[in-house]
Amino acid sequence: MTEVGHPVELDISRAWLVDPGTGREGPGELVVRGGVLESVGWLEGTAAAGVDATGVIVAPGFIDLHAHLREPGNEAAETIASGLGAAAHGGFTTVCAMPNTEPPIDVSAAVLAAASAAEASGSPVRLRVLGAVTAGRRGESLAPLGDMAEAGVAGYSDDGAPVASAVLFRSALAYAGSLGLPLLDHAEDVSHGGGGEAADGLISTVLGLRGSPPAAEVTAVARDLAILADVVRDVPTARLHLTHLSTGAALDLVRRARAAGLPVTCDVTPHHVALSDEWLAGARRFAWDAIDDGRRRDPWRDGAIVAPPYDTSTRVNPPLRAPEDAAACLAALVDGTADAVATDHAPHAEIDKAVEFGLAANGISGIETAAGLLLAAVDAGRLPLLRAIEALTTGPARVLGRDDVPAPGFVEGRPADLVVIDRAARWAVSPETLASRGRNSPLLGLELPGRVLLSVAGGRLAYRAPD
Amino acid sequence: MTVAAATATAWRHRHLLDVDVLSPGEIGLVLNGALGMTEVVAGGSARTATLRGVGVTTLFYEASTRTRVSFEVAARRLGAEVVNVTAGASSVTKGESLLDTVRTLEALGARMLVIRHSGSGAPYLAAGQFGGSVVNAGDGRHAHPTQALLDLYTLWRHLAPDADPAGPFLAGRKVAILGDALHSRVARSNLWTLTSAGAAVWICGPATLIDGFGAWATGGIGGSRPFTVTTDLAAALADADAVMALRLQRERMTAGLLPSLAEYAARYGLTRDRLSTARPGALVLHPGPMNEGVEIAPDVANGPQSVVTEQVANGVAVRMAVLELLNAARIAP
Repeated sequence: MTEVGHPVELDISRAWLVDPGTGREGPGELVVRGGVLESVGWLEGTAAAGVDATGVIVAPGFIDLHAHLREPGNEAAETIASGLGAAAHGGFTTVCAMPNTEPPIDVSAAVLAAASAAEASGSPVRLRVLGAVTAGRRGESLAPLGDMAEAGVAGYSDDGAPVASAVLFRSALAYAGSLGLPLLDHAEDVSHGGGGEAADGLISTVLGLRGSPPAAEVTAVARDLAILADVVRDVPTARLHLTHLSTGAALDLVRRARAAGLPVTCDVTPHHVALSDEWLAGARRFAWDAIDDGRRRDPWRDGAIVAPPYDTSTRVNPPLRAPEDAAACLAALVDGTADAVATDHAPHAEIDKAVEFGLAANGISGIETAAGLLLAAVDAGRLPLLRAIEALTTGPARVLGRDDVPAPGFVEGRPADLVVIDRAARWAVSPETLASRGRNSPLLGLELPGRVLLSVAGGRLAYRAPD
Repeated sequence: MTVAAATATAWRHRHLLDVDVLSPGEIGLVLNGALGMTEVVAGGSARTATLRGVGVTTLFYEASTRTRVSFEVAARRLGAEVVNVTAGASSVTKGESLLDTVRTLEALGARMLVIRHSGSGAPYLAAGQFGGSVVNAGDGRHAHPTQALLDLYTLWRHLAPDADPAGPFLAGRKVAILGDALHSRVARSNLWTLTSAGAAVWICGPATLIDGFGAWATGGIGGSRPFTVTTDLAAALADADAVMALRLQRERMTAGLLPSLAEYAARYGLTRDRLSTARPGALVLHPGPMNEGVEIAPDVANGPQSVVTEQVANGVAVRMAVLELLNAARIAP
């Protein structure tokens, strides 16, 4: 049997192939020899009988624009090796690592060190490193963006500590643009939303948690877009990517900016699409079930509260928001306003979560549950399967641009890069089933649809489900 | 003496973390239980010692004399062995974890843990680890269950002493809660219990201090029991049967939520003149400690309509009833 890291031999017959490269999906078969995709066949007529999208599906390997791998500095939470293992378990074959490590990845040596760690891990999952925007992520002066570009960064981000200075943000956007690289911004006015424990709204009021208002995200997005509009006049290659947008109003701004031709892209996370702030109160139902005629349902009235409140695994920034905002994130995914789904995988050691809610670290360990949450939306009839796969493959590839990653799709003669998922198989999310060192998931104890059977990155085995 | 006991109701909770999970019948059990305790409180004698030998530890991360002492007196009257632990606010951030402390106290014999904490939800964290019973003595802005229950008890004895405490005994009654609801666990817990008893509750304060309550009021407590939110003090006081003034913290000014204490007192302070617009003889409550001259005028705080000291005495009886119910649930097979 092939071991992780080795070239795969595969004969997949009678599966549902989803090829976002061509927009085609349907019954088909694949042959991989020595890691190379030798042939792809689409089945028709009687050969296709009985094969549908609810069984085994095959898609290009997923690309995550936003993951925290914690190395160097917090290896108790995750390492590059464990993070890449978790990614492969989640169906991801390319992962962009955020630079908010200790010390931060803000010089080329740190970029190269991360790349070496990925190489040493033996995992075939591609690591693409994001460099910090500002030195030390302090928001005071530009990091050596050009040096880091030469070291191979995929873009820049001060995720977690948004660049507060408008002047510095403007410079970074222009400078990164001249290097042909995107700026990934965590859009939040910290003077407004900082210290928030929950989304400002019904749940924060009832639970007595400090609220982070949607406006803290919306005003930051408005600022970013206004600056982008200025910058692109002089630097037409400037590119802004807004990560983990979580409010309907911010997504509306992006929708309008794109209609006006601005070079802006954005992503939403699986948890902002599928979960909502009522999870902080102990509800455990999907966001689309928490809404009625466009208005939130009251979980105390519905009997939806089934778990104790204040579970710190639900604390995340941006916070889980009202079901109306979750519905807006889903709508943006469906209509393409959101180019990508990014996991914002934020593993934490238990010691940083087993504390009072207000003291708990922000973040959800989410790279292994991302596909399951999206498939739950597909199962609920809220999201076309092809759109879900696009947002995990061609969408993020477009955000990265250039030739950073092979264009997702089934192309004969190229190294196979794919994920095989049994949509009919549900799996229990538990500390034992997660490969990440971070077990901080609000989904622990629940079941998700879509078991990943196999992940193949660059022709080599990245993950195989235990029998 | 018990009034129209809610016979079929059993107490289902090992912990008292919030009032949102209490059924009207369970609230009735507490109130009836407290009524039985008042003779003990008045007589100063130990009761039947239902908590004899039980280790009750108070763990306070926030300064509070009256609540801590009230719990201590209640536990001692029931025969419990009481240990008081005061954890400086600094130890919360110093990395000495709450869970370590809880485990240590349990190993030292605590079977009931009375916890006060500045962080909303902290008692839930403790309850997840603790083998005995956790009693929430106030967590952040979230809940202060025994305060709400003693307030309800006080209103019951004054406004409907012959009614079933498990029923809607405050139906047709109006209760106005004045001041800083935003930061108030007392206001939040009272919203659950007062509306459960059928009262029409009005939350009134400056816009910055009632932020968010409007949306809650529309759907109602538990999604079904609406209340009223207003900045209009005259409307809130009109025909009120009871008025509860909330403590105003000085920090609200530095946070930019209020121009000054003086402006607050001038616009929202409960004065004799304003109180006269409520129903004649309307009760005046305050969870304490009071800032006399700010949220409440001294002659109102200590006037004939004030039941503030009664609240304190009732607090002991209610906490005795709560400790007894929790202890029985804790040792039940």
